[in-house]
Amino acid sequence: MSRLTKAAAAIAATAAISLLASACTGSSESAANDDPNKDVTITFWHGWSAPSEVKAINANIKAFEKVHPNIHVKVQGNITDDKINQALRAGGAGAPDVVSSFTTDNVGKFCSSKAFADLSPFLKKSGIDPAKTFPTAMLEYTQFEGNRCSLPLLGDAYGLYYNKDAFKAAGITSPPRTMSEFKADAVKLTKTKSDSYSQLGFMPDFHGYESTTTHLSAQWSPTYFDKNGKSNVSKDPAFASMFNWQQDMVKALGGFTKLEKYRTTFGDEWDAKNPFQTGQVAMAIDGEWRAGMAEDAGVKFPIGVAPFPVPDDQAASYGKGYVTGTIIGIANTSAKKNAAWELVKYMTTDTDAVVSFANAIHNVPSTYAALKSPKLSTDPAFQTFVKIAQNPGSNTTPPSVNGGTYQLTLQDFGYAYESGKQTDLTAGLKGVDTQVDKDIAQAK
Amino acid sequence: MSTATGTVHPMLKAKRRRETLRNLAFLSPWLIGFTVFFAYPLVSTVYFSFMKYDGFAAPTWNGAKNWSYVFNDYPFFWPALRNTLWLVVVMVSLRVVFGLGIGLLITKIKTAPGLFRTAFYLPYLAPPVAATMAFAFLLNPGTGPVNHLLGDLALPQPGWFNDPGWSKPALTLLALWGIGDLMVIFMAALLDVPKEQYEAAELDGAGPWSRFRYVTLPNISPIVMFAVVTGVIQTMQYYTQPLVAGKVASGVIGGSGQQFEPGYPDKSTLTLPQLVYNLGFQRFDTGSACVIALVLFALAMMFTALLMRRRSGFLSAED
Amino acid sequence: MTTNSTLAPPAAAPQLAASAHAKRAATRRAALEWIAVHALGIAATLFFVLPFVFVLLTAVMTDNQALTGDLWPKDWRWSNFGTVWNTPGFLTWWRNTLLYAGLGTLLTVVSSTPVAYALAKFRFRGRNTAMMLVIATMMLPPQVIIVPMYLFWAKQLHMSGTLWPLIIPLAFGDAFSIFLLRQFLLTIPKEYTDAARVDGCGDLRTMLRVVLPMAKPAIAAVALFQFFCCWNDYFGPQIYASENPAAWTLSYGLESFKGAHHTNWNLTMAATVLVMAPVIVVFFFAQKAFIEGVTLTGVKG
Repeated sequence: MSRLTKAAAAIAATAAISLLASACTGSSESAANDDPNKDVTITFWHGWSAPSEVKAINANIKAFEKVHPNIHVKVQGNITDDKINQALRAGGAGAPDVVSSFTTDNVGKFCSSKAFADLSPFLKKSGIDPAKTFPTAMLEYTQFEGNRCSLPLLGDAYGLYYNKDAFKAAGITSPPRTMSEFKADAVKLTKTKSDSYSQLGFMPDFHGYESTTTHLSAQWSPTYFDKNGKSNVSKDPAFASMFNWQQDMVKALGGFTKLEKYRTTFGDEWDAKNPFQTGQVAMAIDGEWRAGMAEDAGVKFPIGVAPFPVPDDQAASYGKGYVTGTIIGIANTSAKKNAAWELVKYMTTDTDAVVSFANAIHNVPSTYAALKSPKLSTDPAFQTFVKIAQNPGSNTTPPSVNGGTYQLTLQDFGYAYESGKQTDLTAGLKGVDTQVDKDIAQAK
Repeated sequence: MSTATGTVHPMLKAKRRRETLRNLAFLSPWLIGFTVFFAYPLVSTVYFSFMKYDGFAAPTWNGAKNWSYVFNDYPFFWPALRNTLWLVVVMVSLRVVFGLGIGLLITKIKTAPGLFRTAFYLPYLAPPVAATMAFAFLLNPGTGPVNHLLGDLALPQPGWFNDPGWSKPALTLLALWGIGDLMVIFMAALLDVPKEQYEAAELDGAGPWSRFRYVTLPNISPIVMFAVVTGVIQTMQYYTQPLVAGKVASGVIGGSGQQFEPGYPDKSTLTLPQLVYNLGFQRFDTGSACVIALVLFALAMMFTALLMRRRSGFLSAED
Repeated sequence: MTTNSTLAPPAAAPQLAASAHAKRAATRRAALEWIAVHALGIAATLFFVLPFVFVLLTAVMTDNQALTGDLWPKDWRWSNFGTVWNTPGFLTWWRNTLLYAGLGTLLTVVSSTPVAYALAKFRFRGRNTAMMLVIATMMLPPQVIIVPMYLFWAKQLHMSGTLWPLIIPLAFGDAFSIFLLRQFLLTIPKEYTDAARVDGCGDLRTMLRVVLPMAKPAIAAVALFQFFCCWNDYFGPQIYASENPAAWTLSYGLESFKGAHHTNWNLTMAATVLVMAPVIVVFFFAQKAFIEGVTLTGVKG
């Protein structure tokens, strides 16, 4: 008995010692005192994975290395936000110096936790005035509560893609501008085949790839959080309107069960068998990159692009859409912050770099100078998205301390509501508010 | 060897010390391993469950808030627990019944038994990720071969991994496919049942069912118990298959920048270990992740205690 | 035993007619049973083997056929395997997996054997407690301690992004291997170790020279289990290696293969086949050790 107690005590003691060791794990912020003119290698992480995108980013880096022959960049692609989050916490030799993320969701987390270094001193040092350089909406989603820890690296805008052949066959002459026109067109474009479809006008289910609750809600210009930072989903009628519209669409197109069954015949969003590219759906909500991907996949039919329709009572705001963007920042653990800044500065503010990268991956440029550049692609589809991105009504999902968790909560309710598991919309949206507030309180 | 009378002989004392040193030397890898990779992290998990720690700022005391968040407010906790219960009741018992059935079958097969045994055993070895990917493809509701065949036979075509009502049955099917381990254990146990008992029962006029009921079952009952309890413990650790199945079926398997939704569809494939990942490595709410870890620990230890109390040869102390 | 003779085929001639009748009935019943058992056996075989067949068939289909629901490839694309093999990263995953599984197995066997030996052969106070703790460790889901473990490796030792946080702990004994080896070592009679001691062997020599050669099947089983455990591991690499694709293993890489390379199901299934293949090949060479090993886990030693 006594021996056991002794053993237990020994174990507890060892554990306590190691605990003390692990308790001092504050973030190791290193000052920016490296010499950016010395020969140095920095690591850059990004999320692009499609072959054409990877080619474009590598070309961009090559161009940077030509201008800065002393800085070598080790590029690591296909990195998700989960992994970025993990690596920024881990630090160490393998950790990145420059990080870019596809979503703006985590900017709140990156800034408030000081995972990303504050870029204001660097901007000042280089004489860059952000307000004169970057479009306002993009400036907004790259900072959190006054901390500018990231910069926009091209932007994304969402719009309507439509199959021109299908439009012609259905006798539709121009893309729909309001939700009621959209519904009528979607029904016209839908061809059933026994208990499924040979062609569907539009996939309104929230799992239909980009037709998520947040992307669709943007057409109603919603407000996610009130002034006190509390969730606003049940108070802003925009959300209820969006859900009612979606329900209406689902019913008009054949019902949830039938649509879900059809959805399972779709290929993956990112491969050549994307349902819009195969002609399985005639209209889709998607980002500007789809045009390039469709081209790469050798799609047979001509593709039309337009802003996504708006609610009938907001018809004047036609032209807006959901916007978001890739963000780029410097890891606070980096010991080569000055060299890292050179890369960030080049990629985000060098007009030629921004324009050629935007042209190559069909993304919206993120500086005023680049938006005006004559070198910017004049492709009409691309220009449509450039216009959506600049539309004053376009909006995004605001940053939050716990990243995109609130969006997942809303999305989750969306799934429950569309499947009929939850039938009371008002109570459901109130539930979303409660949950989001609780999650934020836990994360704060 | 003299019996202990009064004082201990100095030579005996030296021998004891030598033996203790020897024992420690032989046990040393495990003693270090146990302390560093079990005891310390376990104590540390308890510590962190009361702390607020996001991986950046130093941990701060958070009282019971993490605990109350997990039990009252974390929307994934109760669904995950319900799923675990479902898997324990349905998957574990089906696996035991099926494993026993296949074990019985293999002992009866007289022609090319080796070939059959290999075929039955092989799926158990398939790496879980590969097996799950394969099943996600085979059971793809719209395009997979299984529903294709069911359609040809005019049978209903379930949504499998895409339907909240069918995702757990689909996982069960995957678990039954990998029955090899239980099959071998049952096979060995069945071959150990004394032949004389069967012969005696046959003489008494017992039919096949009575022979199974009154001879086979009592003989193999410790093994059945073993299979049930280890099955339950495995269910507590069930991670890779539901996670991969959900990710593949939701179509969000590599879209960088997209956050994957654990438990697709509709939280039906959530299990407790996935919550540790979700909280600890997606949300970086280290404290709440540790609360889940401790719940998992309590459940696993409860069943392990059950396993050690029952007679299953786990702690045979003879030497 | 004696009553048996009435059921056994009679040796004497006089009862020939009656026994022939009984014999025929018995033969018929045996034949029926043979048919029933083997029909079930074939049905079960289909259940176990068909998934492999479908996967293989899909793996050699063309891109266009992969999602059509056709079961039989129109055009056999064996080159799919080459395509997957040459995908950037695939070879690295192979090498990493081999390192993890190979080195992990070696360390496990070397470190677990003396512990199992001590637990099986030495008498000391607290031995049962130690054994109980081994079992408790064995039953513990790895997720229970992952958070502090991750912080330990990533924050103290800066080893995230590598597989070392998964390999190094195996140098300190693996609970399952200790348990399985100990179960086997219990079955080796005490007389052997006593005899060795009489011959003047120390404990280490007794273990290495006398007991371990007898425990070869158990060691082989432990090695195989550990090898496959590492080979199949998904959670470990997901936690420690996911941020660095140069450290990915096959299991982890396979899951992201489809998304990362924008490939179709045919190539994904070809990759799946290439991940399963080594396991199956090793199994055919080591079938006996495997089955003995599984048996050891469940049946008392």
